Amino acid sequence: MALNESSAPIKTVRKTRSVTINPPRMCQPMGAILAYMGVNGCVPLVHGSQGCSTYPRYNIARHFRESAEVAVSSLAEDAAVYGGARNLTEAIKNIKSRLNPAAIGICTTCMSETIGDDVKLISKKALTDDTMKIFPASTPSYVGTHLTGYDNALKTLVETMAVKGEPNNKINIITGIINPGDIREIKNMLRLMNVQTIFLSDISETLDTPILPGGHKPLLPDGGTSLTDIADSANSLGTIAICRTAGSAATYLQNKFKVPAVLAPAPIGVANTDKFVQNISMLSGASIPDEIKKDRGRLIDSMVDVHHYMYGRKVGIFGDPDLVSAIVRFCAEAGMNPTVAMTATKHKDFAPDIKAVNGEYKTDTQILEGTDLYEFHEVVKAQGAELILGNSKGKDVADDEGVPLVRFGFPVYDRVGVYRYSIMGYNGSIYLLDQMTNAILGHRYDPDKLHQ
Amino acid sequence: MTTILPECDIPIPQRKPHIICHDPENIVLPMCNIQTVPGDMTERGCTFAGCRGVVGGPVKDAIQLVHGPIGCAYYTWGTRRNLSDTKLHRKYCFSTDLTEESVIYGGAKKLLNSIIESHELFPEGKAVFVYSTCVVGLIGDDTEAICKQAQEKIGIPVIPFHCEGFRGVSQSLGHHIANRTLFEKVVGTEEPQETTPYDMCIVGEFNIDGDAWIIKPLFERMGVRVLSVFTGNASYSDIPPMHRAKLNIVQCQRSSTYIAKMIQDKYGVPYINVSLFGMTQTAQALRDVGKFFRLEENAEKVIAEELALYQSRIDHYRKKLEGKKCFIYQGAPRAWHWIGPMLELGIETILTATTFGHKDDYEKIMERAKPGHICIDNPNALEIEEYLVKLKPDFFIGGLKEKYLTYKLGIPFINGHSYEEGPYAGFEGFVNFAKDIDVAVNSPVWKFINEPLEVK
Repeated sequence: MALNESSAPIKTVRKTRSVTINPPRMCQPMGAILAYMGVNGCVPLVHGSQGCSTYPRYNIARHFRESAEVAVSSLAEDAAVYGGARNLTEAIKNIKSRLNPAAIGICTTCMSETIGDDVKLISKKALTDDTMKIFPASTPSYVGTHLTGYDNALKTLVETMAVKGEPNNKINIITGIINPGDIREIKNMLRLMNVQTIFLSDISETLDTPILPGGHKPLLPDGGTSLTDIADSANSLGTIAICRTAGSAATYLQNKFKVPAVLAPAPIGVANTDKFVQNISMLSGASIPDEIKKDRGRLIDSMVDVHHYMYGRKVGIFGDPDLVSAIVRFCAEAGMNPTVAMTATKHKDFAPDIKAVNGEYKTDTQILEGTDLYEFHEVVKAQGAELILGNSKGKDVADDEGVPLVRFGFPVYDRVGVYRYSIMGYNGSIYLLDQMTNAILGHRYDPDKLHQ
Repeated sequence: MTTILPECDIPIPQRKPHIICHDPENIVLPMCNIQTVPGDMTERGCTFAGCRGVVGGPVKDAIQLVHGPIGCAYYTWGTRRNLSDTKLHRKYCFSTDLTEESVIYGGAKKLLNSIIESHELFPEGKAVFVYSTCVVGLIGDDTEAICKQAQEKIGIPVIPFHCEGFRGVSQSLGHHIANRTLFEKVVGTEEPQETTPYDMCIVGEFNIDGDAWIIKPLFERMGVRVLSVFTGNASYSDIPPMHRAKLNIVQCQRSSTYIAKMIQDKYGVPYINVSLFGMTQTAQALRDVGKFFRLEENAEKVIAEELALYQSRIDHYRKKLEGKKCFIYQGAPRAWHWIGPMLELGIETILTATTFGHKDDYEKIMERAKPGHICIDNPNALEIEEYLVKLKPDFFIGGLKEKYLTYKLGIPFINGHSYEEGPYAGFEGFVNFAKDIDVAVNSPVWKFINEPLEVK
């Protein structure tokens, strides 16, 4: 049984234009590549034109400041006529012979989907033995966004690998597109709770690699979830999706292997993190250790410390739906006034989440869904904002409004280190609130007013 | 034998003709401008990238509308550092955002509406550039007809670029498509308000990190009137009168020689190739232009002024960099543009590589290379890593995608595509370049790379 509540669709503001202006969303291969990069020994392979691998690589490199190695089948005009089977077959063989990876994660593109290549069949034929796994996800750019691409790839991973065996007493955590810092904080919480986990998937080491004496393996970095663990995900106590947009694999494991799926809000702020901890506890039977309770107390302490500065502060938030709706709730908890909440990827839980916050905190957050930053900016102008929260693409909106931008999400390329820090869990929430408060203090306060 | 098969390529021997060890007695050029080996971890991009990202994208007052699904528009939104003095082209990203419905029923109506709406919302846009992506070519939207219809309706030029990503073998075809489209549809459509005997266009200069802002005044100080820069910091209105220049100079000789040649063939305007990087090459370019316009004395005066300002600083960096060895991996021309300037800093380039070089690019590399120099066409990540480890250059000039791989290997790196702290062109820019190399090579951070933590 899925634990999320379904509700009737709620009408939200949406652009009526044909043209999209400043979209804060990317295409499916981008997300699929990120999902594959969290798997140990998995080489992502884009079946398409060369731009379809180069552009996502560029974005990954500039956000994480890491090398992002992705293969491409280099489709060209001949493939448009004869199909891409030859290219894909050759690509799989070449990757295997040169890198011998544990797996290849394929993402399709506009090109390969439109010409109608049967990737599953072609890749099956390309394999001469069983020593390497292939994940054939369908991810054309003209469907969905980077988030559905992530979801599709992750579901393909689990569908291909998961096998029923002995109960493993672990909890599966589906991360979604979050940062290495977030994953490390979630791991830290689970360690404190003494709960064993399988992360689906885990970029915390593969896209935040240390420089260690003795060299580096850029093409197949250490870290990531092992194929064995992905196979074992069928035997876990339950699956928690940190991001519900990445929840298809959880639903699949529930339907196929009766692994309970928990699709709950992202653990940002007090209530949502409480819910996360309670869900872990519910699935595993673990008690809540004092260390976690102290972290929670420090979050509340941090909120108390800054409430004079933050009360009523108008904030406009954009980004991926799970993160935005959780941050809206957190801002409301801190006494702020989230005026606009925008996501370019539509999701059924987004509007209900925010409506619930509006009801509880008597806020009046405008909900924008499936739209672009041009419209976000228009609504920000109308509703007012003293602070913008979002990725680097929000810079111009913030600058035009003369307010600070606190960066979260993906991609953030114009500041360093954002990927290293967590905005999740009690500790991450403290960090996020401090970032917001310091932005307001730096921007709005005469230094004399800050002497206590 | 001058071709080499690196260890990582043993399973794909078809890479062998692409990798050359230079032997002046037996000059062989790398095989080039052909399809990438599928799955070889290429660094190449697509035709759309060359057209939208490189040549069309810098035109600052054109609405840059990408006709296709969202990704292609997003990824080219403000990424290349082609600066301008207005914000339209980098601040805004326009897309028809095609979805499955359009793939089935066609995207024509959405394109037409998008052009009209963009114009209504951004009347400051002087033209609309419409770039086709893979899916548009496959579903067969008649973008020519739609753009014509839209142009009639909105009264400003609407220019379709047929730059579907799957065409060709690399970004290179996209450059050609952009050149041909702008030549055929824009150049010659308007006459300049006035002409002088000293009118010149700077072709293939994209104002990366402000390069054009350094280069253009050098020629202006000589008494040359720069009619247009193609296309760095260019307005749309700079392109139509290009045919009335007396001379074109070509800086990026891969992406933009096409238009210079087309203008020469149709309008009889000659062009000369220039390298506006480094002290010697920049001075040479000024002298060549001075000779053409009979402004030799003015050229010498500008060169002398610039050398007086900047040569001592180059000498300062040369002392710190003398004897270093580097790799240069660029799209194509900068791989050879920079071999000479590196020598001015006492640096030897021991390996060059290009993503999409043609025969003429490799000829220019070989003219400048020393015996034993390694030259790679369309290198892939494994080859780059293998050569970095094997030859251990003191630094590597590449692009962002190679940057962090190089860092992890403990090798200093310069982003030659967008620059670190540019501009890098001209005399003044070369000081910035030298400074960035000095920073990269002489930073103390590298000493920790192989320093283990052990119990004392």
